[in-house]
Amino acid sequence: MIKSVVSHGIYIPFLRITREEYINTLGSCNADIKEKAVMDIDEDVLTMAVEAARNASTEIDISQIGVLTLASATFPYAERVMTGTIIQALGLNKNILTSQHGNSTLAGTEAFLSALGLMEETEAKYALVIISDAPAAEASSDMDHGFGAAACAFVLAKAEPGLRFEGTYAYSDEVPGLRYRLPGDKGVRDIGVRSYSAMAHDDTMQASVQELFNKMHRTPGDYQHVVLHQTSQKTAGALAKKLGFSDGQIKIGLVYDQFGDTGSCSPFIGLCHVLENAGKGAKIMICSYSPGSGSHALSFDYDNQFPDSSKKLQYFLNHKKYISYIHYLKIKKVI
Amino acid sequence: MGAHISIPMYQRAVSQKYRMLAQKCLHCGKVNFPPKAVCKYCLTGSKFEHIQLSGRGKIYSHTIIAGGGAPPEFAAEASCKGSYPVVLVELEEGPKVIAQLVNPLDREISVGMPVTAVFRKIYEEEGVIRYGFKFMPAPVS
Repeated sequence: MIKSVVSHGIYIPFLRITREEYINTLGSCNADIKEKAVMDIDEDVLTMAVEAARNASTEIDISQIGVLTLASATFPYAERVMTGTIIQALGLNKNILTSQHGNSTLAGTEAFLSALGLMEETEAKYALVIISDAPAAEASSDMDHGFGAAACAFVLAKAEPGLRFEGTYAYSDEVPGLRYRLPGDKGVRDIGVRSYSAMAHDDTMQASVQELFNKMHRTPGDYQHVVLHQTSQKTAGALAKKLGFSDGQIKIGLVYDQFGDTGSCSPFIGLCHVLENAGKGAKIMICSYSPGSGSHALSFDYDNQFPDSSKKLQYFLNHKKYISYIHYLKIKKVI
Repeated sequence: MGAHISIPMYQRAVSQKYRMLAQKCLHCGKVNFPPKAVCKYCLTGSKFEHIQLSGRGKIYSHTIIAGGGAPPEFAAEASCKGSYPVVLVELEEGPKVIAQLVNPLDREISVGMPVTAVFRKIYEEEGVIRYGFKFMPAPVS
């Protein structure tokens, strides 16, 4: 059965901190951001998830949603059903199929793929996929400099035109010591060996993307837009070139320098920007990555443009307030 | 600890707090929010239908809660922000509700300013996050 994304929604927090603020305060900034999004003290991944889902579902009949999948590596509770919070906040039916995906930045593509599968088990027309994340590290860690926050949501439909899902390829391997979080820790750690980390990043994503090409009998030139997982502007751009993509193919989906590393949301925020700019008939690929390591490459055909959204990515690019590093530390409850 | 609301009591009101589910009096047609056992307008009707509020409204009155003035459950928020605005909003459907205003604009908060509801953490107690609605300035279309 053909399944397509028929609507999307975004939420980016109002607060931003700039690279210059880090440099002025700490003397350096370890991330190649221009600025990054920061959740306010009264926000978490669930509040962001609700706002993104509301933006995605303004034009659809929510009583027809039969599947809800929710993803984040930074849920506010380590154990609890959190889809119930979303169901209440949106007023969805309480008897829908749900799944929660966490523990790694692969959670976003896991939730998306799960929704495609769960749709087979319901007569309802739509599935709602929400990905919301705000990676965290100790303020004393350089990893913190690039960690941002964002949420996006997608409504999937059976046999409707939109962003048609074409196929996927998954790859996982054992690569310990990279971006991990122990029980009870609030932030992630890393052994800090850059060459080891870069090799795992490139090899893992290369494996899923290349094998998706083989599976679908495609070449890099067949895609108009490609969105790779973005833990840095430079590494995402360099890997894209290594895979045979041009600057033009990755330009629109590369948004890291505006919002920071948005964890499991990373490829999907780029996808939202692509959807707001791509033409009908465009082939689009996204690729997620999680240290540890794993990657999912997904291929789409954009066969129908979405209804105009009032809150496009451009709205969130313009709608912001810059904060000081002191304010940032207060939000992180460091001071 | 501030004004304690038990978790079971909070749970019974989540549809009001999370998505502003109100009730329309079948006797006089007025919208009650939060819901009442007897309509607060006609003092007669006790049968209602649920309606979903739009979350849109205009500021009817406003104030600033400054450092030291915040109730204990909002002390962390007051400490982080220094102060925070609280608004009385007249909703499109008629009811007036009090809530915090988030993302205030650089210009002054004023009576009549259009606002829209957003989903936020209200406070945390006993390790349980209490979610609910606040307002933000309405996006300019």
